[in-house]
Amino acid sequence: MKLSSIRPITLLISKELMISASLLLGVSFVVFIILFLSPGDPFSAMVKGQMMSEAATKGAHEALVVPEAWYSQYLSWLNNMLHGNFGTSTRSGLPVLREVILVTINTLYLTIGSMFVTLLLAIPIAILSARRGMTLLTWPATIFTYVVSALPVFWLGYIVIYISMHQFGLFPLAFGAMSKKFNWIYFLLPVFVLGVGNGTISEVVRYLRDEMERVFAEDYIRTARAKGASIWKHSFKEGFLIPITEIIASKISFILGGAIVVEQVFNWPGMGRMAWQAAQDRDYPLIMAITLMAAIIVRLGSLIQRVVHIIVNPRASQE
Amino acid sequence: MNLLYVSYGIIIVITVIASYIVGAFELLPFDPEKINLTLMMTSPGTSGHILGTDFMGRDILSRIIIGIQAYFLPGLLAVAIAIIFGTWFGVLAGYWGRGFDTLITYINNLLNSFPRLVLILLMVAAFKPDIYYIMVIVGITNIPVVASLIKGKIQFLKGKFFIEAATALGLKNRVIIFKHILWHNCRSVLIIQATLGMAEAILMETSLSYLGFGVQEPTPSWGNMVQAGANYLMQGKFWPSTAPALAILFTIMGFHLLGDGLNNILERKQKK
Repeated sequence: MKLSSIRPITLLISKELMISASLLLGVSFVVFIILFLSPGDPFSAMVKGQMMSEAATKGAHEALVVPEAWYSQYLSWLNNMLHGNFGTSTRSGLPVLREVILVTINTLYLTIGSMFVTLLLAIPIAILSARRGMTLLTWPATIFTYVVSALPVFWLGYIVIYISMHQFGLFPLAFGAMSKKFNWIYFLLPVFVLGVGNGTISEVVRYLRDEMERVFAEDYIRTARAKGASIWKHSFKEGFLIPITEIIASKISFILGGAIVVEQVFNWPGMGRMAWQAAQDRDYPLIMAITLMAAIIVRLGSLIQRVVHIIVNPRASQE
Repeated sequence: MNLLYVSYGIIIVITVIASYIVGAFELLPFDPEKINLTLMMTSPGTSGHILGTDFMGRDILSRIIIGIQAYFLPGLLAVAIAIIFGTWFGVLAGYWGRGFDTLITYINNLLNSFPRLVLILLMVAAFKPDIYYIMVIVGITNIPVVASLIKGKIQFLKGKFFIEAATALGLKNRVIIFKHILWHNCRSVLIIQATLGMAEAILMETSLSYLGFGVQEPTPSWGNMVQAGANYLMQGKFWPSTAPALAILFTIMGFHLLGDGLNNILERKQKK
């Protein structure tokens, strides 16, 4: 790449970074507002049963320098977070950030693995039906994607556990607790279940197929075909790379939602399970941190998608 | 083939509505909450229980029919919120202004940044809401989707001659928007979004009830039925969790196929 072509790309990418940052700011504000409006406040929970008189409570309130107005509360909270202080869990008393990062890594394994499973199933069907239209092979395959997308993922999880238990004698119930030798199997089952049952396959197939059909009908593909060049090579970027990154980026948040359910089924120590527990206990700092972390993952996904789009096709993304 | 999709979807919709009415008038074969400890976990067909009984001897068919009530009205509420406000914002953004346009895009991206289920768990932690409030949130998160679709449609239509002609004839903006744009040209988009929205509402309700935050026992919901039945699945008793799971499968697939089939039939025809 020449320098003159790199400069606009860096400009575009920094613009995308700005957009992502502003969206994350918006996310933090929404989270704050939800918890600000919720009934009860942490301060009165803290002093409950300790200070009797009105004056003493008020004095403690002042001594703790709790900001009064909502915007100063928000700003001090934001400031703390930017310095890596997400507060301590009201349940365990541990700092939230470390715990959340640990479970986020587990969830990322699960989500990224399951995306590969989804793509492995979806791409062949999409390519076949884009090239050949509806045939005896692609029609059942399309119906299959609809059936699979409507499957309740928790039920699929139980069935898979049952089969692996009774047919293969495996107990994938305690992640990491068993011998290290078979850990990869415990890892594969939830990944497979989420990849098949996350409910996005039919949409992924539909989107990829429509995009491929559109690209195959373009003039430059017809030219390539006429002169005998490889169609795949010419349609790869427009008809394959960009649609795939686009559909993945737009489905990340949906798959993360599915991960919550699958983690529950398989006892996977991830974000979703922690969010579930935190919602049960009304552990505000924990669920705030998890929500923010989930939003960061989603934003990262679409940032990657935009960057791929810009690098592949800088001219189109300037419009 | 698209007609096949649509007809399957319509059959499912009619079945759901009919079952809802049957449930609402309590014309059920058995009382869905009546416990019968002599008939636990029976297989389908035993002594009049068409789909068998669950772990407390309650009739599964009746519970599935009553389970529709767990999502039917809340789901309609979610769809109504998404459609009405989505259309409103879409019209504002498409017809009047670039400022609104940027705002809608921003809010759209903002709401897409939250995994829906995580946002709902946050709400559960903050407010302990019941299923109607949860569905309001589902509806609100779908507003930007509808709004951006309507906005795109309007921006596409604004360049067309018939809108220009209508403006030249001196028709009121209100008439142009409601009659010429929304009624004649956005009807199909809205119907498709409504069916897909309903599918999502069902998915949300069943997932939440499965996780234990939606409809609570003993009130049946397909989600908590699967959850309760799953405890017995390891003993080889498939039926109590499979029956509601199949109900979820067929219903969500019906709504998806209806939406996609209608989309292929109505929207592709317009493109050509």
